[in-house]
Amino acid sequence: MKQTTVRHLISLGMLLVLIVMFSILSPYFLSPDNLLEVARDASVVGIIGVGVTYVIITAGIDLSTGSAMALVGMTMANIYAYTVWPIWIMLVFGILVGLLAGLFNGFVVARLHLPEFIATLATMGIYRALTYAIAIRDAGGVIQSQAMTDSGFTALGGAAGPVYLVTIALIAAIVIGQIVLKYTRFGTNLYAVGASQKAAALSGINIAKVRILAYVVTGFCVAVGAIFTTARLQSTTALLGDGFEFDPIAAAVVGGVALSGGSGDIVGTLIGALFMAALDNGVLKLHMNTAYQYIIKGIILILVVMFDAWYKGRMEKAAQEKGVKEAAAENE
Amino acid sequence: MSEKGETILEAKEIFKAFSGVPVLQGVHFDVRKGEVHALMGENGAGKSTLIKIITGVYSKDRGSIFWEGKEVEINSYKDCQRLGIACIYQELSVIPPLTVAQNVYLGREPKKGGLIDYKKMNEMTAELIARYDFPLKPETIVANLGIGQRQLIEILKGLSCNSRLLIMDEPTASLSGKEAESLFSIINTLRKNGVSIIYISHRLEEVYRLADRLTVLRDGKNAAVLDQADIQPLRVIELMIGKTVDESAGSSKQMRVSKNEVRLDVRGLTDETGRFRDISFTAHKGEILGFGGLIGAGRTELVRAIYGIDKFKSGEVYLDGKKLNPSPKRSIKAGFGFVPEDRRQQGFIPLLSIEKNVALTNYDIVKRNGAAISDASELAMCKEAIKKIDIRPADPEKAVGLLSGGNQQKVVLGKWLMRDLKVLIIDEPTAGIDVGAKNEIYELLESLAKQGVTVLLVSSDLQELIRVSHRILVMRKGSIVKEFDKETVTQAMVLAAAQGLEESKEAAS
Repeated sequence: MKQTTVRHLISLGMLLVLIVMFSILSPYFLSPDNLLEVARDASVVGIIGVGVTYVIITAGIDLSTGSAMALVGMTMANIYAYTVWPIWIMLVFGILVGLLAGLFNGFVVARLHLPEFIATLATMGIYRALTYAIAIRDAGGVIQSQAMTDSGFTALGGAAGPVYLVTIALIAAIVIGQIVLKYTRFGTNLYAVGASQKAAALSGINIAKVRILAYVVTGFCVAVGAIFTTARLQSTTALLGDGFEFDPIAAAVVGGVALSGGSGDIVGTLIGALFMAALDNGVLKLHMNTAYQYIIKGIILILVVMFDAWYKGRMEKAAQEKGVKEAAAENE
Repeated sequence: MSEKGETILEAKEIFKAFSGVPVLQGVHFDVRKGEVHALMGENGAGKSTLIKIITGVYSKDRGSIFWEGKEVEINSYKDCQRLGIACIYQELSVIPPLTVAQNVYLGREPKKGGLIDYKKMNEMTAELIARYDFPLKPETIVANLGIGQRQLIEILKGLSCNSRLLIMDEPTASLSGKEAESLFSIINTLRKNGVSIIYISHRLEEVYRLADRLTVLRDGKNAAVLDQADIQPLRVIELMIGKTVDESAGSSKQMRVSKNEVRLDVRGLTDETGRFRDISFTAHKGEILGFGGLIGAGRTELVRAIYGIDKFKSGEVYLDGKKLNPSPKRSIKAGFGFVPEDRRQQGFIPLLSIEKNVALTNYDIVKRNGAAISDASELAMCKEAIKKIDIRPADPEKAVGLLSGGNQQKVVLGKWLMRDLKVLIIDEPTAGIDVGAKNEIYELLESLAKQGVTVLLVSSDLQELIRVSHRILVMRKGSIVKEFDKETVTQAMVLAAAQGLEESKEAAS
């Protein structure tokens, strides 16, 4: 069996264990309504996770996704509050801001050659601060939650039949994301850059372009995530996207995308996103303090990374032992 | 003239100097269609510089390059690809998570309707594989392949863009015997298909087997171009070393066994992966014991294991009759010093000062004020080291990364001299160091020996090995194959033993 398949099955196993556990503890957990809710909650993380997966495959990281989400939301809120433009123009601006945020990340990383961690830590601060700078305030200067109640817009937060629109968007994002990853040169180049920049350069790949594009895709996904989130909330705040830098990365890692780059795929990240959402939902259903969500997520993240390191070490050792055996056979 | 014998590449009168130091001085080199042309020479003879000029990595100072009779300028990887020259790098440049086919066509994937056409790509790869009979499958993930097969992917990559000249730089360096055999048969197939190969190797036996012609470089000049019939191992060794140089430099020397008591006794040392096997030797007090051999013979691995950095599977190490269980910490305590091969990566910490670098392995003997280290004691130690071995500049605060190569090496040595040293292991002590500093380091090693320190010296510089060593062991493919303990040794004798040639004495005559 292929190694990626094995890793997917492990993630799926973790998800199943979680579902079985919660369904025993809470009879309501497995109801269709709740499962659709879990799918809805997994959707935004999963959509952003597509871009984040691309970035991590190139051995990068993006810590700015949550802040960029807030910036997209607040940009749309300003257009909503101060113009009479149609909703679609507001959405176009939202997407544009997302793309720009991603482009800037890519520029700092690939052109200014800053380490991804510190570059996106800086832009995480910048995008959040920009959000506060353009936030809509009342007469006393206090930031208000800006309502966006246009029915055309809030419809995006609704459902088509039993399935939420955002979940349909997630499915589209996963399918397109996986096809681009596996069936385009850009997708192949992501793996090449992540596995060895030197080898990629020797094959004539434009490394900077690939890395920048990965961040731009993330920016696009962030904007889509922000649109669906604000449509469902029918409002935005300067705090929008809190936790949305953590969850997509955690989803990717749980799904088997190695932070060292060069491995993983979108299907894995989808499983990871479902895992995160099921965890959040289960904690609520059990009436536990929501603070436990992040404690549990953090611990699981540590365990998964430890497991991956152990697994990788074991595979390498097995390969080495194979080499030793062959060498020994030869010496005889 | 038959098509097969036509000259495909010709480099004429190539000159190249680095910051005034001439590296190539009017070298001529030509490759014919469908031949394996070997390129040999000692370290520093100019082989890799010549190749880098041919592949456009360096620009030449003077001279011209002709491709199929037309003069060409090669300035980049792209120029090479356009002409049909491919270089198989020593450090492999394959992408492990991708399949064989994905690697071969990386950046040039065939497409259908905007998406990669995997079916076609795999078919194209399968075709290539079948044509040259490689033991590969298009859809295997490269991470699951051994180093030998990965190398074949690089070759395949070169062939897939219709390269007609492949450059292989030490292709067997990291291959097992079996893998090397399969590479040789592939080279023969390529030759039959009219592909030309430049084959760079230190290993005479390979060149002897494969090459249609051989160019030997020595000190940046052509020493000879030999046809297959004239490639005789001992002759080649002579050409590489240059007899006149050999004698005038006084680099033949009478070897001897020290009469002092045995200090280090190594018995049957064997490592896990067979990089060295059943190694036994003794080294005496005040003796400089040299280790000769080709790169990859297992010398570095052996001394690392004796010092305790790497583990060994079986065997014993005794120091003054007491059995050791080597680990760097215990070895230092027992009186070992270790100067590694790659001093930049392993020997010192570039950003730290001379003072801190000297103190680093000596904190157990630096005085303390309570729990804190005594700055005065640390400084005194550093000043002593600077004085003892003349580190320049004599500034304890200077970061070691800013010193010249020779002075960096002196710092690495200096920190061991502050201790009560019994055994000093030193691996390629003067690689990349200027002549003046080299001599100082040689004198230092000799004076250490006089004080009773046992020195294990690994060196690929034959002149250095003979000049410094009292006694020489030659390793080949993980075993000690020759000991020079009484005769007058020449470079040719050491090289012949390292190459596995029996009649090593003839080379000297």
